This record gives sequence, C-alpha cells and structure tokens, in this order.
Amino acid sequence: MANPLALIAEITHRCPLHCVYCSNPLELTSRQEELATADWLRVFGEASALGVLHLHLTGGEPLARADLAEMIAGARKSRLYSNLITSGIGLSRERLAQLVEAGLDHIQISFQDSSEGQANWIAGARSHAHKLELAGWIRSHRIAFTVNLVVHRQNIEHLEEMIAALEGLHPDRMEIAHAQYYGWALQNRSALLPTRAQLDRAVAVVAAAEERLRGKVRIDSVIPDYHARYPKACMGGWGRQLMLIDPAGRALPCHAAGVIPGLHFDNVREHTLDWIWQNSGAFQKFRGEDWMPEPCRSCDRRKEDFGGCRCQAFLLTGDASATDPVCELAPLHHLIEDAVREDAVTSSAPEFREAPFHVLQEKMAGFWSYRTDPKR
Amino acid sequence: MAELSDASFPKFAAGCRWGGTAEAPVVLFPEGAIRVEGTGRIILELCDGHFSLAEIVQKLETQFILAPKGKIRADVLTFLEQLHAKRIIDY
Repeated sequence: MANPLALIAEITHRCPLHCVYCSNPLELTSRQEELATADWLRVFGEASALGVLHLHLTGGEPLARADLAEMIAGARKSRLYSNLITSGIGLSRERLAQLVEAGLDHIQISFQDSSEGQANWIAGARSHAHKLELAGWIRSHRIAFTVNLVVHRQNIEHLEEMIAALEGLHPDRMEIAHAQYYGWALQNRSALLPTRAQLDRAVAVVAAAEERLRGKVRIDSVIPDYHARYPKACMGGWGRQLMLIDPAGRALPCHAAGVIPGLHFDNVREHTLDWIWQNSGAFQKFRGEDWMPEPCRSCDRRKEDFGGCRCQAFLLTGDASATDPVCELAPLHHLIEDAVREDAVTSSAPEFREAPFHVLQEKMAGFWSYRTDPKR
Repeated sequence: MAELSDASFPKFAAGCRWGGTAEAPVVLFPEGAIRVEGTGRIILELCDGHFSLAEIVQKLETQFILAPKGKIRADVLTFLEQLHAKRIIDY
C-alpha cells in the first residue's frame, strides 16, 4: 500500500467568517473537544515518519488556535511543508512574522468577491479590507502566497474583475476553485450552482488569465463537477494519498466522510497514524476496487477517477457505494441533470451589488444559510 | 516571462525548498513535490543563487565531458524554464 502524501489538519472549527459555501460539516466540533498542542505535534511526527510531505493547516479558522506558531514550528521540526489556509482575520503584522519565523512555507488567503460589500455578504462578516492589507505584509516575507477564489453563481460574473484585482496583490499562485457541494455549500446549492453558460464564460476568462500571467502567477483551477462529463478523482482516491484529522482527532479519508453512515473514524488519541492508515475500517471501506458497482467495475476510467466521490454518491443517492451521479454513465445521473436545471432557475446575483454589507444582508435575508459557529 | 540568460542566477522561488530524505530528496512547493534524481538533482543543487547559468552549465560540462557541444546548455535551459513556469525556480 502506498503511503499518504499530505495531511489535512482541521485544527479547529471556530471561525469568524460564516461563508455560505463552507465545506465544514453541519455538525461542528466544539472548542472543548479540540486536540491539545502536544497531540498535534505527535501526529505531525507520525505523519512525517509515514512519508507525508505536506501539512495543510486549516479549520475553521486556524488562527483561532493560540498555539498555531508552536504547531508550525513542530511541523518544520518534523520536516513537513506547512501550508496555512486562512481567512487572515485577526492576523496582525507581528503574528504573521512569528508564523514565518516558526517555519511557515506557504500561506493561502481566500477571497469572496471583488467588491467589498458583496465579498462581506458572502462571508457573512466584514473581512475584505483587512485581507487586502494583509497581502502587502505577506509579500514582505519569503514564503509562497496563494490567493484562493471560491467561485459560484453569486460571484461568477465578476470573475475577470476578481482576477485583475487579486493580480495586483502579487501572489505566486491563484487557485480558482468552484464551490463543491458538501456541507454548507450543499445546503445552499440552489443559490450557488452556476448555469452552463456562466461556467463556459468563466472557463474562457480563466484560460485568458493563464495565458496573460504565465511565468508570473501559477493558476490552478477546479471546474464544478456538476457540469463535467466524468466525476473528479476525489482526494486522489479513497485512502490513497490523503488523511484528514478533524479538530477532535478523528481521522477521515476526506472532509465530508462524516456524512456516510456506518463509518467509524479512529482517533489519533488512541491510535498512531500508521495504524490508522493501515487498519482503520473507514480508510479500507472504499480503498481499491472491490467495492465498485457496475458501470465502474468494468470501466477503463476507474483507475483515473476511482468511481468519483463517495460522499457525493451518498449525499445525492443515499448509497455511498453508488457510482458518483456526476458521471454521465451513472444509472442515477439524472439527479445531477435535474439539479443543474432546477437550481439554475432560482434567483441570481442581487441587483444591489454596490450596496453596503448590512443593506445586502437585510434585503437578501433568507436567501441562504450562513455557516454557524460551533456550540460552546 | 523573465528571460533566462548566462548572467541569470537561478534560485528557488519563495516557498520552494528541499525536503524528503537524503536518500530520496524532493523539491517541495505549494500543493506539490517533485522527486529529483540524477542530472536534475545536480542542476537544482546548483540553483542556490550563488551560481550564474553560465557557471552551472560549465560545471556540468566538466562533469559530463562526452555530451555533444551545446546540448547541456539547451537541456538546462529547458529544465529551468519549465520550473520557472511552475513558479518553482526564479531568475
């Protein structure tokens, strides 16, 4: 069995933002349940010994953990490459310097839209102006800087504008990722799923930006799978490359795996990472090809996409072993076709784009559900 | 894209560095890693900002004396330009 290459550490579910497309589970982990610093440091050491190269520190908002610098230092000591995925909220110039000093390799800041009011409306919090200032501080350090744009129907028409605005922040890399429909994003899908025509225009905008920024900014883009012919190779295949540890120490094969009934997630408080990778039932469940139904089982693409996403299969069909309905060969592909058709008729971008945040929220009350905070 | 010339000093871009183990070194960068062996490793070990492209080529030519004239320079150029497009090497 190959070893995992990356560890996603969801170190907390606490977050000052309430983004409507958040991939966190609807049931969030409370602060009291969070792993202690020493547990995380041990896990990083075990990950490195297991062959993991990259550590993605995420959440919630990882800055909510006061011991973040200690964790980054621990990751560096364990020879892991550390990537901080953050909103940047609450990150002062001084704290950024501490994180860099501790050995941070890469910082990734997400942006919600190009205009202040609308960006804050999507995030459910005032955050946009601070991010712009933070970008300047980041560039004064020798770390990699990625800006991340989550694209959906409410901002897709502004994509060109967003790219142009973010270009001015001089990132090394731009991640243009369409929202993926799990967690809060699935809850809000009818407000977020773009139409086919919108997607086609967005693809052309990204292609033009790639051409223009070649050698300056590396662009990585993720197409929404609802509009694809074949499913995505979710997590590079179940239990093949990645491990995710949630704030309470449960080891999951992917962000959304908690939705699949009957899976037991072993905890790093009780087992080593190596043991979990080899033996945990949750990791073995959809590893390899034995679980595959037809048409996957005899399909040439099974080695490329591994039958698609198990969580999506469950969320949309009620059966985690079904072929991902995104696949045009899937028996239940009509579920996706229906969603694309029906969701597209829901009202589109608000007309008060330039309105301040509080006006937008008031006028659009009930339009979608904001991600909540974990219970105390 | 910046021009790579004999006077350029290639070096790792911000956030790119060596990782892995001494037996199996890798170059780590945002969201990825490449395993480098043989000549690729020799070239990248010289990309520390202290050697110009001309010096790197010269060192390799001393090491691989049987390579046809000009081939090493062309290969190094292609290799570094590819890594530059991926934002791994700056010059």
